[in-house]
Amino acid sequence: MSEETKTEEKGKKLEDIRKEAEEKACPVQKALYFIDEFIAGPMCSKCYPCSLGTGEAKIRLTWISSHHKNVSKRDVQELKRIGLNMIEGSFCKKGRDTGRFLIETLAASEDEFIRHISGFCLQKECISLVEYKIHPGLCVMCGKCLEACTHEAIIGEKRELYLTGYLSFEILQKKCTRCGECIEVCQVGAIERLSAELPELIAK
Amino acid sequence: MEKLVKLQIDGTMVEAPAGMNLIDAAELAGIHIPNLCYLKGMKGIGACRLCLIEVEGLKAPVIACNTKVRDGMVIHTKNDKLNEVRKFVIDLILSMHPLDCMTCTKAGGCNLQKYAYEFELKESSFTRKEFGYPTDEANPFIKRDPEYCILCGRCVRVCKEQGTDVLEFMGRGIESKVLTANDRPLQESECTFCGSCVDACPVNALLESDRWRKGREWEYTKINSACLLCGNGCDITVSTKDGRIQKINSGAAAGSAERYLCAYGRFGFDSIEAESRLRVPMKRIDGALKETTWEDTLTIVAEKLRKAGKEAGFISVAGIENEDALILKKIAKNIVKTKNFDTTLSLYGDSESFRNSQKADIDKADLILLVDLNPSQWERALPALDASVRRRVNRGAKLIIINSSDAKIEEVAAVTLKGNITYNLKGITKALTEKGLKADRKIAAAVKDEEITEDIEKAAELISKANEPLIFSSPSMFEASANIALIKGKVISVGLESNVRGVVLMGLTTEGKTYKEMAGMESGKGQGAKSAVKVLYAVGEVPLRTRPEGLEFLIVQNSHLSGLAKQADIVLPSATFLETAGTIVDYMGRLKYLPKIIEPQGESKSHREIFIALAKVMGTKIKLPTEAEVNKAVRIKTKLSFSPFAKKEGFDIAPGEFIESINASVINGSRLLWLKETEKAVAV
Repeated sequence: MSEETKTEEKGKKLEDIRKEAEEKACPVQKALYFIDEFIAGPMCSKCYPCSLGTGEAKIRLTWISSHHKNVSKRDVQELKRIGLNMIEGSFCKKGRDTGRFLIETLAASEDEFIRHISGFCLQKECISLVEYKIHPGLCVMCGKCLEACTHEAIIGEKRELYLTGYLSFEILQKKCTRCGECIEVCQVGAIERLSAELPELIAK
Repeated sequence: MEKLVKLQIDGTMVEAPAGMNLIDAAELAGIHIPNLCYLKGMKGIGACRLCLIEVEGLKAPVIACNTKVRDGMVIHTKNDKLNEVRKFVIDLILSMHPLDCMTCTKAGGCNLQKYAYEFELKESSFTRKEFGYPTDEANPFIKRDPEYCILCGRCVRVCKEQGTDVLEFMGRGIESKVLTANDRPLQESECTFCGSCVDACPVNALLESDRWRKGREWEYTKINSACLLCGNGCDITVSTKDGRIQKINSGAAAGSAERYLCAYGRFGFDSIEAESRLRVPMKRIDGALKETTWEDTLTIVAEKLRKAGKEAGFISVAGIENEDALILKKIAKNIVKTKNFDTTLSLYGDSESFRNSQKADIDKADLILLVDLNPSQWERALPALDASVRRRVNRGAKLIIINSSDAKIEEVAAVTLKGNITYNLKGITKALTEKGLKADRKIAAAVKDEEITEDIEKAAELISKANEPLIFSSPSMFEASANIALIKGKVISVGLESNVRGVVLMGLTTEGKTYKEMAGMESGKGQGAKSAVKVLYAVGEVPLRTRPEGLEFLIVQNSHLSGLAKQADIVLPSATFLETAGTIVDYMGRLKYLPKIIEPQGESKSHREIFIALAKVMGTKIKLPTEAEVNKAVRIKTKLSFSPFAKKEGFDIAPGEFIESINASVINGSRLLWLKETEKAVAV
């Protein structure tokens, strides 16, 4: 039964959002991006399954991507339920397509979602799940990263000729926002993005 | 007869009128299709998705609120898949709704609670969402608490459809919110405090302000009645508990355009227990009113009336019930033997127009004409007529306005004819005859020289195409308007008081002095002349500021100590319409029964009981009128006939002001006073 509502397309089209989302390597980021952009753009907000469902999906995806303290495997189940009900219950095609995208993304990479719940983002795109580290062997102590960091998360002393006893470069994880500016300026590729070593994982 | 179609719902064969939606059709078979956003009478919007059902032969489920019945349709309202979507939606809504049913005033009447129970949801399986929206409770009528809002949009739609258009959605998705323009409190918006939104809200987001701890739905006794505060005589449902009225809601059938109640009707009932309420009879001793007994006062009144005889006069409001009117006439005519008995209706209309006014159903009208009428929810002048007409227009009916001055309701009219009213009525009549509609020869002759303008032609075109045109006219233009109804449609004379038609049918129209003469009113001016009678008996809240000049004795029989009552020699406490049982004939010609809802305050009695007691003191026994007696009076047949196209003069009265003045005690004795004061403050 086709009951397509004619709502104005605001900003981006669903297809564009899909394309942009596909550029993300991490499936959680992919789904989160899609939902975020859908809520901000083409969602008409007229029927419950879609307008309330995407709101809930966003919360769950954010939990998964940030390793929220409440995150559990149930979040993946609830996401599936939201997706299926959006397909079944949404008024228009946009809502149903968004539901489908959720379901397809989950089906294609459920393992990756579960891995996130354990605290790992293989693609290192979920910034809460990665750590930036300076490889001491590669670092030439040029100090560019120190200048680039706006969060004062890098400490170290620039190497000067004929001077000894300098402090090596290091990233303070508590201050680091994973913005990635330091990687951009490092000319020797000494800054690496690693899956975070979460306390509970270390404990295990 | 409407065409019926047969369909099968969950195995039950149902016959439903063509064009009906599936939710209503299922209801005919006693099957409830869950819904939250559907509002009977309005087009389904399919927002809540709870009413999804399966139709055999269709691939995907459809929404029942917006799908019409078809012959041979087979539908299923329940299965696992549909229930999962329903449960999912309720689950989502619960995640953003306070779970405090144990203290929530709406419990028992809450649709969300009902469905949560049905789908076995103790709490939401989704993440709890709290918004911390402030409650709007700065007015004494409506409490607006967005924390409870489930975003169904019923209030927004109901307010828009009736033309007040105060509420709107803002934001998207879970962050949506219903608010007023610029998110101001209600009294700073265009809100008229009619409370239609309260009736529409399925949860506790919109509720009467004073409901906290005043009982919940299952504790109330609900009685249907009618409101007698203005000419619309709206249906009401009164909820009582412990012998007191707790709230009043609109009592018109769900889906009717008349399902409306203004602030007076909904919130004016506080005045029953007001300080100004009369509870015992009073008489003037040494210049001051002192409480006394019924026996004492009635003896004095009987004596005064007997002495005055022909020089006694009775004036009454036309908002008294039929039974009161019948007995009042008997007292005046047969016992006191005076011909002077008249009502306030003579201030705004002639009794003939009300006698000849037809019976109609606004829900069936597909074209409405408003002749010389300016109903307005904002001016509180026949607000229910304004709201019903706007609703009918929003549901597809067309509106023609014929008026000499501006009317706000023009904004929804298809055609507005300004200027000389009789000229326009004649023009329309001529255009109709030219379209080949049959007209009496006298009518055709009266309009043969008329000019037909473009707008007149448009109006006539609408009338000729309409199935059921309905003309509402002021009493002064009734005869002229009736000429159109003689060709096509029905015509109603719109009075300003609830029982004008009943009062006329009961024969309470003067055979001697008129209301104005007895009240000492000069035409075109207010009071000032000498009263035409010596002893005046005023019944109800008659709109007189001062005691008419030249009176020897004034008796006021009213529920409240009105301005006039304070100047009376005898004050008799009467019961309000919520405290007596009786009937009225409303402006549409329907006989409405008003049961006794609560006991009268103090020693107050119904008008008719007082009259009967008075008659007894005067030595005559009168019986209470029987139902048959009233019905016989109501059932007289009238026929419209041609009258010249002319305006009846002498009835120029501002409807809003008049309605306010006959309700002065109701307003001053209830929270409506706040409204008046706030409106005044805003106006300054």
